[in-house]
Amino acid sequence: MNTEQVIPSEANDTLDTVPKLRRLLASIGRRTIGLWQWPVEFISDAAAVIWQSCRPITWRRSIRTEFMRQCYQVGAQALPFILVSGIFVGFGIVAQSLHWLKVFGSTALFGGFMSAVLVREIAPVLVGLIVIGRSGSTLLVELGTMKTRGQVHMLDAQGIDPFLYLVVPRVLAFCVCMFSLTTVFVAVALLAGFLSGTLVGITQFGFFDFLNRALGSIGRATYVLFTLKTVVIGFVVALISCKMALSLSGVSARVLDIMPRGFAKSALATLIISIALTILF
Amino acid sequence: MARILEKQRVILRFDDTVFTSATGGVAESDEVSLSVCGGDLVLIRLARLEQTAAFADACAGIIEPTSGAVNFLGRNWSELPPDQANALRGRIGRVFKTGNWINHLSLMENILLPQRHHTRRSTRQLCDEAGYLAQQFGLPGVPLGLPGDLTAADLQRAACVRAFMGRHSLILLEEPTTGIFLEIISALMNAVREARERGAAVIWLTRKHLIWNDQTLPATQRYQLAAGKLMEVTT
Repeated sequence: MNTEQVIPSEANDTLDTVPKLRRLLASIGRRTIGLWQWPVEFISDAAAVIWQSCRPITWRRSIRTEFMRQCYQVGAQALPFILVSGIFVGFGIVAQSLHWLKVFGSTALFGGFMSAVLVREIAPVLVGLIVIGRSGSTLLVELGTMKTRGQVHMLDAQGIDPFLYLVVPRVLAFCVCMFSLTTVFVAVALLAGFLSGTLVGITQFGFFDFLNRALGSIGRATYVLFTLKTVVIGFVVALISCKMALSLSGVSARVLDIMPRGFAKSALATLIISIALTILF
Repeated sequence: MARILEKQRVILRFDDTVFTSATGGVAESDEVSLSVCGGDLVLIRLARLEQTAAFADACAGIIEPTSGAVNFLGRNWSELPPDQANALRGRIGRVFKTGNWINHLSLMENILLPQRHHTRRSTRQLCDEAGYLAQQFGLPGVPLGLPGDLTAADLQRAACVRAFMGRHSLILLEEPTTGIFLEIISALMNAVREARERGAAVIWLTRKHLIWNDQTLPATQRYQLAAGKLMEVTT
């Protein structure tokens, strides 16, 4: 007697459908998690950096030294490049705006124009891009190499939390240096613009009058926006680079492969932050 | 030796611990039961290079056991919050087999880093101690250059300097004599003796027959990790 039970075709279809449905749900779940994982991790890491930087115990000698080293590398060593960029941008933008405002007979609007264009928009984004190219990629390579060569693991084994030693000082140093470098950039650009305008003969007012027009029109909101933009861009750029570098796994992981993605992500984040904060203020 | 025997508090204890590691896609389990007291020098022979680092990681609570518990100074690594675990790891000196040095820091900064992080000792004191140990291990002083500028032998000596800096409770040595056995062995044995006299335990991990068969090594216990189990070897 044949004891094999024959499953009716309808039930067979149902059994086929269940795994398909599960696979479909799993696929949707995977994609949803994949979509949200990075932003959620990023926000939690950002909160952790802020929390850890507020704890006095974080600021041990080793962390302070690392913070100072990063300030020197990201800020002091980038200063000559920022000065030269500021001079070129100043010659271009300030001289051009003075020229065209004179053509339209609106030189009185110079202060407001400078405040809106240079201080609020151009300087934070341009310096942000310079910092990404110069220091962000260095950070990516440095931490990526440390991760793949087992040096991050070595820190962990010595009881030195890699997040505290590698991420927190770098992110804070980027914030401080972004603000400082952008301030220097704006000052140099204005000075270069005035000098170029004077040399060409389109500037009709003295240096202090020029400064008064340029800085006098910067309201409180612009100061707040300028500070927020520079600090947030520095924070986000550094955190993106740290996260990408430290997410590398395996000895064979190629650090150079993540550099273009790191640059693109950081540049995009800089533009988004700039636009979002401009809309808010 | 009498001073060594007086200090018999348990520093590290593996309680029927099982570790699972994936090697080449194959999961392997190692059973470990071990008790290491202050003043002990434990020699452990392992079959493969990756086992050396993995065992040292297990001692330092970096690798979680699948079952059982690893206790360091009476505390279970698995139950400690991260801050406390890191503070306790500051009491472990270690010669690493791989990933020894942070490339962008000078060797001096590398050597002082754990002590500067975990202790409040002045930099002057730390430099003095590092200089003394460097000379003991055959270096003219603490190297100031970057790790890439030094020879492998000098880096190995510097690794020993870092491991013996400070007053650790446990010192983990992963193949500390690589490439410079004859040059370093007497200095290393002196440093081990001094550490043991202070009450520290020393675990020496090796794959080499030369070390394992050296009966002049004053090991208080000898173990061999073979067939997935840590077994005591009596001589």
